[in-house]
Amino acid sequence: MRKVLIIGLDSAPAEIVFDRRKEFPVLNRLIEGGRFGTMRSSDPPITIPAWMVMSTGKDAGRLGLYGFRHRTGPTYDKMWIATAQSINEPAIWDIIGQAGGQSVLVSVPPSYPARPVAGQRIGCFITPGADKDYTYPKELKAELEEKFGPYMFDVPFRIENRAEILREIYRMTEKRFEVLHYLMRTKPWNLFMFVEIGVDRVQHAFWKFHDKTHHLYEPGNAFETAIIDYYKFVDQKIGALLNEAGDDTVVLAISDHGAKRMKGAFCVNEWLIAQGDLVLGAAPARGANIEKTPIDWARTKAWGWGGYYARIFLNVEGREPKGIIKPADYEREREALAERLRSIRGPAGEPWATQVIKPNEYYDDARGDYPDLMVYFDDLYWRSAGTLGWGTMYLEENDTGPDDAVHAQHGMYILYDPRSKASVRKDIDITDVAPTVLRAIGLPIPADMKGTPLR
Amino acid sequence: MKKEFTAVSLPTSLYREIEDAVRGTADPSVANYIAKVLRESLKKGGSTEEVFSPEDEEKVKDRLKALGYID
Repeated sequence: MRKVLIIGLDSAPAEIVFDRRKEFPVLNRLIEGGRFGTMRSSDPPITIPAWMVMSTGKDAGRLGLYGFRHRTGPTYDKMWIATAQSINEPAIWDIIGQAGGQSVLVSVPPSYPARPVAGQRIGCFITPGADKDYTYPKELKAELEEKFGPYMFDVPFRIENRAEILREIYRMTEKRFEVLHYLMRTKPWNLFMFVEIGVDRVQHAFWKFHDKTHHLYEPGNAFETAIIDYYKFVDQKIGALLNEAGDDTVVLAISDHGAKRMKGAFCVNEWLIAQGDLVLGAAPARGANIEKTPIDWARTKAWGWGGYYARIFLNVEGREPKGIIKPADYEREREALAERLRSIRGPAGEPWATQVIKPNEYYDDARGDYPDLMVYFDDLYWRSAGTLGWGTMYLEENDTGPDDAVHAQHGMYILYDPRSKASVRKDIDITDVAPTVLRAIGLPIPADMKGTPLR
Repeated sequence: MKKEFTAVSLPTSLYREIEDAVRGTADPSVANYIAKVLRESLKKGGSTEEVFSPEDEEKVKDRLKALGYID
């Protein structure tokens, strides 16, 4: 088996990694000697499920993962959070393990609880805290903490002190790379994979300071170069790690989806109220949560959830506890609502490129708790706000605090094979990644992986 | 995306029974019903009860909220 190193840069877009490559000498060297391009992410293009779609080669429908949270059955107020326990398909490291190989996996979402693997695993940012067992094997935690102190899973986010967030992101990344170097030196591996979540966090916190086209951008602001400076820092860190990875190791630097400026947040439930689909039992307080707001279910046809994309649920008779849409009318009602969602315009009356997905039709095999509709407002430029009582449908900022960036459907990848150097641009799909890694490592590709290995 | 299907055989009597049971429901397709029931029975994960304590789950939800994943 050959060795493969996967460098996960959560949320890194081609617009930064490729367009500014001259500023990142290490990544640029990989680009100039490797295959690279955009990678069309999963639907939805969200951290969970994207890293697992990438690692299993199965789409989100097959995994039954449509984001971090899911409605528990046809209930009004119950939900569950995706964890490592929710993954029922074999990932590349399971296949490598069966073939007798070893993997080192650091913070690949979702990896809490740290399920057993042939090798080592460290939990990701859904780990509740460093007091938990967050490693496999269990003893690895003490081994690492003795040398490096408590592991940092994430940074406290959405605090107004941006300088503080930035310091914490650097501290987290610095610590992660110390751990990566140690694991790379001391543990056997055929696959070494980590995800640096700091890339995503720095983009969410500093995009409006960086992107001149952002509606809140101010020229000459103090954080103008915060994102690019952080990328330069990560680039150096990657360079040092590559020095230890071995001369014959195949390197894949990849993101799970892209990022772009947030134009605003669209209050999906305010819109449903205005459309007559959602009827409240009482006037909501400003910013009220839909789950905590009394709803007149006898007159409600649909309600929604917020996030980077909107989930819409229909209130169907015989399915929801107080459903009113007749089963025979379900498809007609759903299509009519989808059509109205597609025709929503922006605050200045501008047309939007909104995409509406019917999960049970869209996926080959939709499993688990999927919503009736998934909506990408204006190609994801507008995030979905589920909260109520704003007095408007359009918010300039995120309803739950500052957030300047949203997700983009396309991420990026660079595949560098020291045995066949060539700078070739080729765009791929996220399902191509698992077969590509298995081929690079020298293992057969399972027949139920639909992607095509990159040659 | 093109879906792929395969055929399995069922006793006709069982098929008729399912047909009666799903008639007039939101999705009156026998095939969809069977697929749904089998998936339920195959499903191992799906619940976070055994993973997080109630306090931990709140902690994780708050973090996901702050990160913009949920509202």
